[in-house]
Amino acid sequence: MSARDDILAAIRTGLTHGRDGALPRQTPAQIAAEAAALLADPDEIRPALSGPDPVAAFIAKCANPALGVTLERLAGWEALPQAVAAYLTRHDLGPRIAVSGDARLDRLAQLPLETHRDTAPDEAAAISVALWGIAETGSVVIHSAPDQPILNAMLPRHWLVVLDETRILPFLDDYAAPAAPAPRNAVLITGSSGTTDIEGYFVRGAHGPGFVHVLLISR
Amino acid sequence: MADAAFKQRAHDALADTNLKTAIDRTTGTAETKRAIAVEAFPEFQAARSRAAAIKDHVIANLDHYLIEFERNATASGAQVHWARDAAEAAAIVTKICTDADAKIVTRAKSMLGEEIGLPHALEEAGIERVETDLAEHIIQLAQERPSHIIWPAMHRTREDVATLFFKDHHPPPEADDPAAMVASARRVLRAKFMAADVGISGANFLVADTGATCTVTNEGNAELSTTPPRIHIVTAGIEKIVPSTDHAMALLRVLVRSATGGEITQYTTFHCGPKRPGDADGPEEMHIVLVDNGRTRMIGDEFRQMLRCIRCGACMNHCVVYRQIGGHAYGGTYPGPMGAVLTPVLDGLAQSRDLPHACTMNGRCEEVCPVRIPLKTLLKAWRVRTWDEGLVEKPLRYGLGLWGFAARRPWLYHLGARMALPVMRLFGRGWIRRLPLAGGWTDSRDLPAPAARSFMDQYRRQQKDARK
Amino acid sequence: MTTPPAVGLFVTCLVDAMRPQIGFATLKLLEQAGCRVDVPRAQTCCGQPAGNSGDRKAAAALAKQVIAAFEKFDYLVAPSGSCVGQIRSYPALMDNPGWRRRAEDLAAKSFEILSFLHDVMGWRPNGVRLDATATYHDSCSGLRELGVEAQPRALLESVEGLEMRPLNGANVCCGFGGTFCVKYPEISTAIVSEKSANIAATGADLLLAGDLGCLMNMAGRLHREGAATRCFHTAEVLAGMADGPAIGEDT
Ligand code: SF4
Repeated sequence: MSARDDILAAIRTGLTHGRDGALPRQTPAQIAAEAAALLADPDEIRPALSGPDPVAAFIAKCANPALGVTLERLAGWEALPQAVAAYLTRHDLGPRIAVSGDARLDRLAQLPLETHRDTAPDEAAAISVALWGIAETGSVVIHSAPDQPILNAMLPRHWLVVLDETRILPFLDDYAAPAAPAPRNAVLITGSSGTTDIEGYFVRGAHGPGFVHVLLISR
Repeated sequence: MADAAFKQRAHDALADTNLKTAIDRTTGTAETKRAIAVEAFPEFQAARSRAAAIKDHVIANLDHYLIEFERNATASGAQVHWARDAAEAAAIVTKICTDADAKIVTRAKSMLGEEIGLPHALEEAGIERVETDLAEHIIQLAQERPSHIIWPAMHRTREDVATLFFKDHHPPPEADDPAAMVASARRVLRAKFMAADVGISGANFLVADTGATCTVTNEGNAELSTTPPRIHIVTAGIEKIVPSTDHAMALLRVLVRSATGGEITQYTTFHCGPKRPGDADGPEEMHIVLVDNGRTRMIGDEFRQMLRCIRCGACMNHCVVYRQIGGHAYGGTYPGPMGAVLTPVLDGLAQSRDLPHACTMNGRCEEVCPVRIPLKTLLKAWRVRTWDEGLVEKPLRYGLGLWGFAARRPWLYHLGARMALPVMRLFGRGWIRRLPLAGGWTDSRDLPAPAARSFMDQYRRQQKDARK
Repeated sequence: MTTPPAVGLFVTCLVDAMRPQIGFATLKLLEQAGCRVDVPRAQTCCGQPAGNSGDRKAAAALAKQVIAAFEKFDYLVAPSGSCVGQIRSYPALMDNPGWRRRAEDLAAKSFEILSFLHDVMGWRPNGVRLDATATYHDSCSGLRELGVEAQPRALLESVEGLEMRPLNGANVCCGFGGTFCVKYPEISTAIVSEKSANIAATGADLLLAGDLGCLMNMAGRLHREGAATRCFHTAEVLAGMADGPAIGEDT
């Protein structure tokens, strides 16, 4: 028998002839119903939002210093180029930025900046557009796609991420349904990369970005 | 390892004051942070019960979910492999690597990888293994095993890490403070990430209805290990299945709070198959190795509930024994209370007979366990097996036998007490500093002398006098 | 209350041999609270040493002995959370359905003394006085298996003259663990040394707890370290019997 057959057979034996006797086997429909029932009352098992509405809650979460993010509200997409330029200047990063393929970022070309597609291993700054934000945790979500390299969010020291506030979902469990079908890679990013591996000291920028800046586009 | 080995390791650990400082720092902070996170989440107790129910539901239907997961993972383009035991799992992974002519393999921390002996297997195969989690990088340099499932290098002080980095990093770190050392590791490992042929990760969840595997990290090393290489290999225990992404989220809420006190990890990533047409990056092949290694046996015996474990480490952070002796003294892949239950499954009871006994049964571990595993009950079940299999030390066995014989005969017992108590009092009336056969107690503690006459003796006399 | 409840006092083997006064204090408290108390002669030990060592057979035999001796009472009460915890776990030791039912019946009416006084009898100390400072350690079985946490503190609050001081890590195990402390003495010693340091840091005259095993462990360590802390079972204080020798003081 193959390892697969052996393992499945051992599971069935364990469940039906185990020490606790036979567990009743269920039909796929019964299993699905039971699985759904386990999540039927989501408010019982999740925290309340930290603000009156998802946008306020998201902003409140990002204000938590433990996350290591900064957040800036923009009146609209038109305000983006100025904000990006100002950020690079503020952090003394030089007039260079890696830009993911999202067409809405094409407007950065109007700046006196050198923009490029591929993020280098030692890139100072890169910018992406998040697909969603999640208010419960202050997370942004990116999906791998032709116009969204995952490394663009992982390699730079400073990662700028644009989030349209209409894309903020209230809870973690509001995400899976609109995200279907699952992309190759879905990354929920919550704050900057960090480690506590040396004596519990929190150090930012372990492997991923040490700085995450959310540019929140108002409605 | 024999009985003496555990005691010897515990003895050595207790003598190491550096170790104690390191343990206290990490577990102390973890305990405080968890308490704050739980306080801020009033639904925590309900969420724990639900998390336990989700895991029980999965285990009760594990065959169904594994087949569903395999179907969906395969549809996403991943290749699913099955491994009965550690050796088979390690062989599958090494074969994928050698078939691909891999020179450099990056690994994102996975306790399952340790469990199946992957570091050793890759080395045997002559493949350069690069541990990318900072703590794993530290213990790779130190040539050690993890001493904690969340902070594998928690036994190492900052000075130890500096020594290792100054020796192995070229160029060396700019200073010996944690920030400079983290920066140095970032520099050294960044080149490896980009040069690797294969990236290996574990999985915190296997999502049945999408076929995705989920990793959670704070450093971002999992994403960097799994995106640039040509091949991504996932090794995961079969119990990691969840029905859907939403179920994973429900577990994630209790997992992260219990582990680090955070609400969510910095990076929570779902990996679903290889690079798709047109994708900007991603591996060309994805392999998922589903590992049994004793888990199906647990389904059929009294340890089934242990399969709920989501590897958060809270039980060890709150364990008085772990906090004295640290992780290495346990001698297995997994330390602390969860390790004391799992190691006998993985390494055999004869090898690890001390572990279920080296516990005070204070129950703090199960009080914090986010999936409500009755750890005490499971440890007691192992104790029953050590007794039944004759693995309890002879003196204790005989002593208890004698005691049990008398205790089942109250007249004999009370007579014995009347005779024995005055004898014990020969060794002292207030405090006894030394008592033959009781060195375990009196080497470090004084023993209060027993009463001259037992309660039952005194009470009976009182009753008699009252009747007169 | 019309008829006073009939209580069988389970003395526990440790109290029987090492510190009978705790048994007499418990007896006194139960009577004060209005119970009819009997002490069955056919009692020895609840079976914890056997149960905790994995000897299920011996543990079951002792369980049956306790069930047979105590099932006729309205309640079983003992001055120990860990013994009552063991008694409440008897059903799991019984293979025969008849015995399991009897074990369940007994488990349902078995109580640790302080929670029994507080929760079941609604008793509060009246006119008990002790001029001292004290700190309290939560013994693990009582705390986690029986929920004994608020009751002893509430009862101690009614003792006049007694100033309670908070103990850092009060709910952390003292390292006793029954046979654990002699099987792994080095680990046990390391644990109890942290406990004794916390106790000493309170500066309290007295250490109180609800389980004699833990008390002997902490008292023995404190004394070896030369601390002046005196140790009593909470029941002794509540019964007004903490004016004599403390644990380990010459009797
Ligand atoms: S046994 Fe519970 S507390 Fe321990 S690691 Fe597993 S899930 Fe966490």
